[in-house]
Amino acid sequence: MAESQTHQQWLDELEAASRSKQEKFMNSIASKLGRPRVMEAPKHPFRGAPDFWNNFEWSQEERVQHFTENFKSAGGHVARLADMEAAKQFIADKANEMSAKYIVRQNQAELEALGLEAALPDASISVWNSDPAQSWKARAAEADFGVVMADYAAAYTGSVTVLSSKDKGRSVSLLPTVLIVIIPLERLKTRLGEILPDFDRAGRASLPAGIHFISGPSRSADIENDLTIGVHGPGIVYSLIVG
Amino acid sequence: MSTTGTAGTVKERADLALNDDFLRKAVRFTTERLRNGKKKASEDHGNWDDWRERGRQIRLHTIAHLDYYLNIFTENARANGVHVHFADTAADAVKVALDIAERKQAKTIVKSKSMVTEELHLNHHLEKIGIEAIETDLGEYIIQLAGETPSHIIIPAIHKNRYQIADLLSADAGETLAPDTTVLAGFVRKKLREKFLEADIGMTGCNFAIAETGSMVLFENEGNARMVTTVPKTQITLMGMERIIPSWTDLEVMATLLPRSATGQKLTVYMSGITGPRRSEDGDGPEEMHIIIVDNGRSLQLGDPEFQELLNCIRCGACLNACPVYRHIGGHAYGGTYSGPIGAVLTPSLQKNVGEWDDIANASSLCGACYEACPVKIPLHDMLVYLRRRKVEAGHGNKIESIGMKGFSAVMGGSKRFRTILNLGKLGQKLVVRNGEIRTKLGPLKGWNTYRVTPSIPKKTFRDSWGTIEEEIRNGLQEMDPAVRSRMEAAVKNRDKGGHGHG
Repeated sequence: MAESQTHQQWLDELEAASRSKQEKFMNSIASKLGRPRVMEAPKHPFRGAPDFWNNFEWSQEERVQHFTENFKSAGGHVARLADMEAAKQFIADKANEMSAKYIVRQNQAELEALGLEAALPDASISVWNSDPAQSWKARAAEADFGVVMADYAAAYTGSVTVLSSKDKGRSVSLLPTVLIVIIPLERLKTRLGEILPDFDRAGRASLPAGIHFISGPSRSADIENDLTIGVHGPGIVYSLIVG
Repeated sequence: MSTTGTAGTVKERADLALNDDFLRKAVRFTTERLRNGKKKASEDHGNWDDWRERGRQIRLHTIAHLDYYLNIFTENARANGVHVHFADTAADAVKVALDIAERKQAKTIVKSKSMVTEELHLNHHLEKIGIEAIETDLGEYIIQLAGETPSHIIIPAIHKNRYQIADLLSADAGETLAPDTTVLAGFVRKKLREKFLEADIGMTGCNFAIAETGSMVLFENEGNARMVTTVPKTQITLMGMERIIPSWTDLEVMATLLPRSATGQKLTVYMSGITGPRRSEDGDGPEEMHIIIVDNGRSLQLGDPEFQELLNCIRCGACLNACPVYRHIGGHAYGGTYSGPIGAVLTPSLQKNVGEWDDIANASSLCGACYEACPVKIPLHDMLVYLRRRKVEAGHGNKIESIGMKGFSAVMGGSKRFRTILNLGKLGQKLVVRNGEIRTKLGPLKGWNTYRVTPSIPKKTFRDSWGTIEEEIRNGLQEMDPAVRSRMEAAVKNRDKGGHGHG
């Protein structure tokens, strides 16, 4: 306890130093720019994408088609499924086919309702952050499959978006060998511009610690430009579009 | 480990690079591929110039109001629970980073790619106090094993082939690894997994910082930046003071320009926005997060009409891939942290000491390909000219070039003198011409003739023929077809009478 107090004291000292330096830093910028400090939000006439772009929207079928094309060309896999029952079957079949022993999933009602535990009696399925005594990073690191729900997806770039929370670990979409992302059809948008402004509207205090856009399997071209899949993150990624 | 060899001039370092045949081929192959990827991605996307212009406007606006945006970024990041620090110089930034590392009693730090930490030679400073700093980007890991620095901003190990890489990784593994990309990458994945899980601190750079929410954004393909910001208990981010954009809405423009310009991707595999340390109830993410905002010469560009736009740079590397000089000599020849056209301008600008880097601005052909490639339209080729001018004004001009230019103007200033010199040349070259070519590397022709051949002065020069040509033209004009002449005269008469013209 004493040690953590000194650590807090040290952090407080750092903050005091930072605050006093902050003023000098900002004043120096203003003086180099040759004007007084700007304290009010300046008018920002060119915020976001060009106007013509903001009106661009694909139909639902086009969104599915373009998302599929883009995600596949980045090395990912896509399946279009009728309902969550079909998603359960798909995951169970893949787990059997690839002999997945360890599965970690987010603690979400939709995934709870899948009933993977019953469908895969031989696999060890853990639910993120459901037991505070567990080492959850280790559970995710050893997992063959990570199963998550997408909060958003964008067809134009072939991306899924996942937001972190107490029940939604950042590790679940990162550490397992195979990642399975379920995208409810209504969350599939055309552009990033239909997703990003939501975070401005939500405002600082409502944002999660981690917002991650994922556009295929982990890759690198660092060795002789030869594409390698699965360098640090999942090497196999399935997007299941449901609905 | 990551000390930059800045000995000698760009020309000397380029001699090393040009003599390394593999390097030249590899650099050309990779840059060609990236350049074609960018070309295709920007054409496929359409309206590319509108997007570039929008990107430029957002960057211009942010830099013009940098005190406002950086200040609210700081306040918002602090409200998110981030410890924000300011560093005027490289030494300040290193001190803050080392203080945190020592306070945390860190043994190992896992790092994702950060050009700012390269700029600070931070790994070197960490090693001096006994902390192992591990680069986790595959290419960066390879060059760290080799004890080198990145030669390309996007593909740092561009200058190594798979056999060289297999040798380095085999030594690391203590067993022989086949020179096969999958085997080599597989080894690095396994090795670094352990490092991520045991590291005390994760260290990152920052592609963009969002002022209105105090968030930081990272673009990457491998997942190592996500590892570094998810697994260790402490995160330290180093960011250049100019990395700011106002909002998430503006991020769409940067997310459109950066990956397409860097690698030709529609989006990098991962784009992560991190807003503060883990929430207390979260199951992962860092418990403590520090952001060090680094000036280190950047603010020198503020208010400078010729160089302020340098701060608009989004570090995509497109100007490197477009540059004919970079494609020939590779990144190390530039001798600084940043290479290619952006490096040729940024390095002397950040260092304030134009003199020491006086030759780097000459490593460019001023062709303007860098400007064409730049997603935020930075006029790099103009800046290179400004830099050369300032260099000359500061008395750092190339002595031999100046003398040569003075001699040139003396000779060209009088036609008699020029004729005399040419005739002398015709005589003099008899000593060096072989089969109509001059291949000697003596005297002023050394630089040129190392890679090219100077043609000999012909027996009859253009100047010798000029009298004849001039006469032919004059005679020719006199011999104009009478029919043509009469038509022209009629036309002139018609015009004088105020007839209808073409306006």
